[in-house]
Amino acid sequence: MSANLDVAAANAPGSNLGIAIRRGLTDGAGVVAILYIILFALYALWDPSALTVSGVTNLSNNAAPLAIAAAGESLVVISKGFDLSVAGIVSLSNVLMATYPVEGPGGALVSLMICLGVGGAIGALNGLLVAVLRLQSIAATLGTMIMGQGLALVIMDAPGGTIADWVSYTLTDVLFGIIPISGLIMLAVVALWLVFRRTDTCMGIFAVGADETAASLSGISVVRARFTAFVGAGLLYGLAGFMLSVQTATGNPSAGTPFLMLAFAAVALGGVSLTGGRGSLVGAVIGAATLMLLQKVLFSGGVSSFYTGIFQGAVMVLAIVFGSVISRLASTGARA
Amino acid sequence: MTSARPSAALQPPADTRRIGRIRSETISTAAIFALAIILILASRFVSPALGSWDQVDTIITLASFLIVVAFGQGLVILVGGLDLSIASMITLGGVLATTWNSSFGSEWVVIPAVLILCACIGALNAVGVIWLSIPPFIMTMAMGIIVASAALGYTSGTPRGASPEAFLALMKGSVGPVSAVLIFVVIFALLARALQSATAFGRRLYAVGANREAARIAGVATWRPIMAAYAISAVCAGFAGMMLVGYANGATLRMGDSYLLPSIASVVIGGSSILGGRGSFAATVGGAILLTTLGTVISALGMDQGWRTVIEGAIIVGALLLLREDLIARLRNRSAG
Amino acid sequence: MSGAVCALDVRSVSKSYGATVALQDVSIELQAGEVHALLGENGAGKSTLVKILSGVVKPNVGTMQIGGERYEPSAIVDARRRGVATAFQELSLVPNLTVAQNLSLPRQAKGRFGLVSGAATQKQGAAILNRFGLRLSPSAIVAGLTLAERQRLEITRAFACNPKVLILDEPTAALAETDWLFGLVRQATAAGASVLYISHRLAEVRELCQRATVLRNGRSIGTVGLEDATDHAIFEMMVGRSQAEEMQRRAATGQSTRPAVLEAEGLAGGSLKDISLTLREGEILGVAGLEGQGQRALFRALVGLAPLASGSVKVDGAAVRLSGPDVALRTGRAIAFLPEERKTEGIFPALATATNIVLPVVGRIGRAGLVSERLERDAVAGSSSEVDLSPRYLDFRVGDLSGGNQQKAMLARAMQTGAKILLLYDPTRGVDVGTKQSIYAAIRRFAESGGAVLLYSSELPELVHLADRCLVVYGGRIFAQLSGADINERTMVAALTGHSIRDTAA
Repeated sequence: MSANLDVAAANAPGSNLGIAIRRGLTDGAGVVAILYIILFALYALWDPSALTVSGVTNLSNNAAPLAIAAAGESLVVISKGFDLSVAGIVSLSNVLMATYPVEGPGGALVSLMICLGVGGAIGALNGLLVAVLRLQSIAATLGTMIMGQGLALVIMDAPGGTIADWVSYTLTDVLFGIIPISGLIMLAVVALWLVFRRTDTCMGIFAVGADETAASLSGISVVRARFTAFVGAGLLYGLAGFMLSVQTATGNPSAGTPFLMLAFAAVALGGVSLTGGRGSLVGAVIGAATLMLLQKVLFSGGVSSFYTGIFQGAVMVLAIVFGSVISRLASTGARA
Repeated sequence: MTSARPSAALQPPADTRRIGRIRSETISTAAIFALAIILILASRFVSPALGSWDQVDTIITLASFLIVVAFGQGLVILVGGLDLSIASMITLGGVLATTWNSSFGSEWVVIPAVLILCACIGALNAVGVIWLSIPPFIMTMAMGIIVASAALGYTSGTPRGASPEAFLALMKGSVGPVSAVLIFVVIFALLARALQSATAFGRRLYAVGANREAARIAGVATWRPIMAAYAISAVCAGFAGMMLVGYANGATLRMGDSYLLPSIASVVIGGSSILGGRGSFAATVGGAILLTTLGTVISALGMDQGWRTVIEGAIIVGALLLLREDLIARLRNRSAG
Repeated sequence: MSGAVCALDVRSVSKSYGATVALQDVSIELQAGEVHALLGENGAGKSTLVKILSGVVKPNVGTMQIGGERYEPSAIVDARRRGVATAFQELSLVPNLTVAQNLSLPRQAKGRFGLVSGAATQKQGAAILNRFGLRLSPSAIVAGLTLAERQRLEITRAFACNPKVLILDEPTAALAETDWLFGLVRQATAAGASVLYISHRLAEVRELCQRATVLRNGRSIGTVGLEDATDHAIFEMMVGRSQAEEMQRRAATGQSTRPAVLEAEGLAGGSLKDISLTLREGEILGVAGLEGQGQRALFRALVGLAPLASGSVKVDGAAVRLSGPDVALRTGRAIAFLPEERKTEGIFPALATATNIVLPVVGRIGRAGLVSERLERDAVAGSSSEVDLSPRYLDFRVGDLSGGNQQKAMLARAMQTGAKILLLYDPTRGVDVGTKQSIYAAIRRFAESGGAVLLYSSELPELVHLADRCLVVYGGRIFAQLSGADINERTMVAALTGHSIRDTAA
């Protein structure tokens, strides 16, 4: 089973074309990227305004919160865990920003720090419970999610509040007239990942996700790898909450609830293996963008908004089946 | 003598335990019920209106939906999976019960029909999990989204119709001084616990959940208990939806949403392992009652609903920390001398 | 003892896990340049000692010194820093990383900006592979390597640290030949390193090691010089009493006229190339083979756990297609399987022993599918007494029992099914001596009452003791069929390594 071609190819000296193509096909990010392109083509057909700057900006703004949240989730999933606290952290960040708006670019920075602080703190709590105290991640993060969600409700019990103008106007805008700022932020996250990929800690996260015992016997600190994954994820959820507030320009204590399912859907769609040790954050980001685009495609295609869910669910299942079929084909091909 | 029993000198060293196993299930069941009772009694001090028999009755009624749903969820978790589709199944059960009730006449045809449909959907979940190797998290989540969307479309956003008489009677009626729901809950809990812990079927569930491959090697046709668990979970959720409809005399489209996480929480608080293979429904019932009691007491005390959620989350984490396998093993070792 | 400082000096080390004592007051010392064997049956405490020496766990009591200085490793990297490297029995390679990456763990080679450099890691890896004569591609993913390749990689990784103390835990388990490894060991010891060599294979140990320390039940029984100690004496230390008296041959009971209950013809698939066999009623048919020669695939194919590319199976003379153990239990006079690893494929640790035993047939013991613990206990009373399992254990969680009792429970399960054909894969693995005797007796009684047994064992004396006939598997085929007086260790060892019986004739 040539499991993680992603890792191998990333480190192979000057991959040749054959490896690159095979990697492109079997690497989940490759498959979902193709899916996105097809969907985008469909979308542009139905709604030509999609190709304008404002159309692209709209798509980017729409996808950014989920994409960043999915990025965080993929970190934990790669380490063979589940992080349900994404919903709680996003809600909490959103509610804090709406309750304590701070104007101006300086204010935006303060708000960002608050969001990151909340995300990092809850992420650290998750890390403590799962990495140090060895609780099951799905159960422990269920607990922290519910607590985060509850705190959000305590701070703001009904939708309302206001987000600072500077933040909601500027950050949904474009730079140099063509580059959506939200797109730049997503790219920044991807860039950070590409750097982080080449650290020992990240290699540790992949190793722990594949085989914790072997990783530990090879000298990797399992605790540090998992803890880092959770804190990193928490920070990204905080950022996602920040971007969500920027986009919706309002506060809602249940803002994070849809993220729970969608984040996992994006991660799975993006080719990140739910059993750990395999995948790429890039795939999760593209997966998230694809899910959000799907919604828009269905809408502009005239599908009743009632039935959007059926398509989303079907796409998720098909993508996973398709992905596992492809990887099985690729591995038999590789061994031959 | 080649077949003689080996001499005493060759007997293996005796296992050091003098007594049999302490069940972690017994500990957690007792602890949870104790906690719930303490909570109810403590609330009495706050206000005499609380902690009365009426309130206990109300709590059990409110908890009934969660108890039914948590049984199904508990079976799926026991067998090593997770059912994220129950929120939509609750909605589906309720919506179809009311809609078909007005269209098709006899509710004694409608109710079984809806439940059978639920079972089929649950079976579909199992098909995806077993044969398509789709992780349960994703499969049931996708199914949930699909079903919710289908229900939305089917009712065009507005569910119509009245609750079937049977459920109105169940949820609102009483037998003498005791409400019908209470009796139902007790009977359901007893039967459900028996199904899980006192049948061959239940034994196979535990085995499959503990180690699917080992169960297969031991001669269990593993797909059967798994499919049954998902089907039962869907049926329980659908049934709970009908109960909700009887309680509120109508269905709403997101009525199942507030039961998904609590169903998982009840199972976890009840000491079942989220990975499967361990747990007891009695403790899950305790968890469901505890959570419901918590909610009731908090709103009776006039506290923000947000705090209820925070405490709920804290209880989950607390339960996980206290019910860890290694702690329980240490407890067992200490008492075994 | 000479006044020279030992390379490794372990004194009175003890380790318990809760109520279970893994090591009790164990002492061992290694001189520089020495290859020192660590011997003992499964469960004697070898792996615990390895873990302590490698820094994976800390002992409760005792001290260790390396070159005269205190040695208290807090982690594997710590041990490595002090010059101790280990090749683990359960390989410690990370499956989704490449060969080169595994060789560099936990820290990869860095390039610009302090970031991991794939090229540098590859180069480093290639250099190491070259140095140790290992022909693997540095960019190959470990998950795709064969077991033998992985074992060599594990060994190479340990050697590559240039350790002062090298611990090799069952390093030849997956290797077809030992020259490569022995060459490396001799090179290392010539340079002054010491090697702690753990192996079941006495012949190898004699070839490579100077002294041997024997563990039994967590204690060290003694240290002997291998030149002077006889096999018999070593066995006695390992096992506690003279094996020779106990291991008599089973009296031949003329099964050749009994009906064939299980016939396999031309089985092929996976590591099976072409195997045919006939198992008769009342017979114990032994199977012997080195690791990975197809015996595991054979057993699994016969019970339906592994698909067959070709070949046919007949039970009671009727052709069958066994699609799984559940089907096997309902075919003809029923086939029951005892798997290789009770911990991962056998027991359900959180369930009661009685539940574990009755599981395959739990549907038959009650009315309307209802069961209870009392019902389970009563149902298994017969089979548990057959295997000498004390009834007081039936209530316990099977995970709390000792390995020996767990294995008895597994055998009881196989017998509880009522199957008349038992496929037993290494039934006394990791089990103490007394339990082995109980298991042997149970197997014999089963055969005498008309059951048929296909028995694989990695311990030749067992096969000598129990089997009426013995098949030797080599390269996915039956290499030899032994019966009668031919079933002795010398002939079997020769056959196992592919030498014809005739070659070994005195």
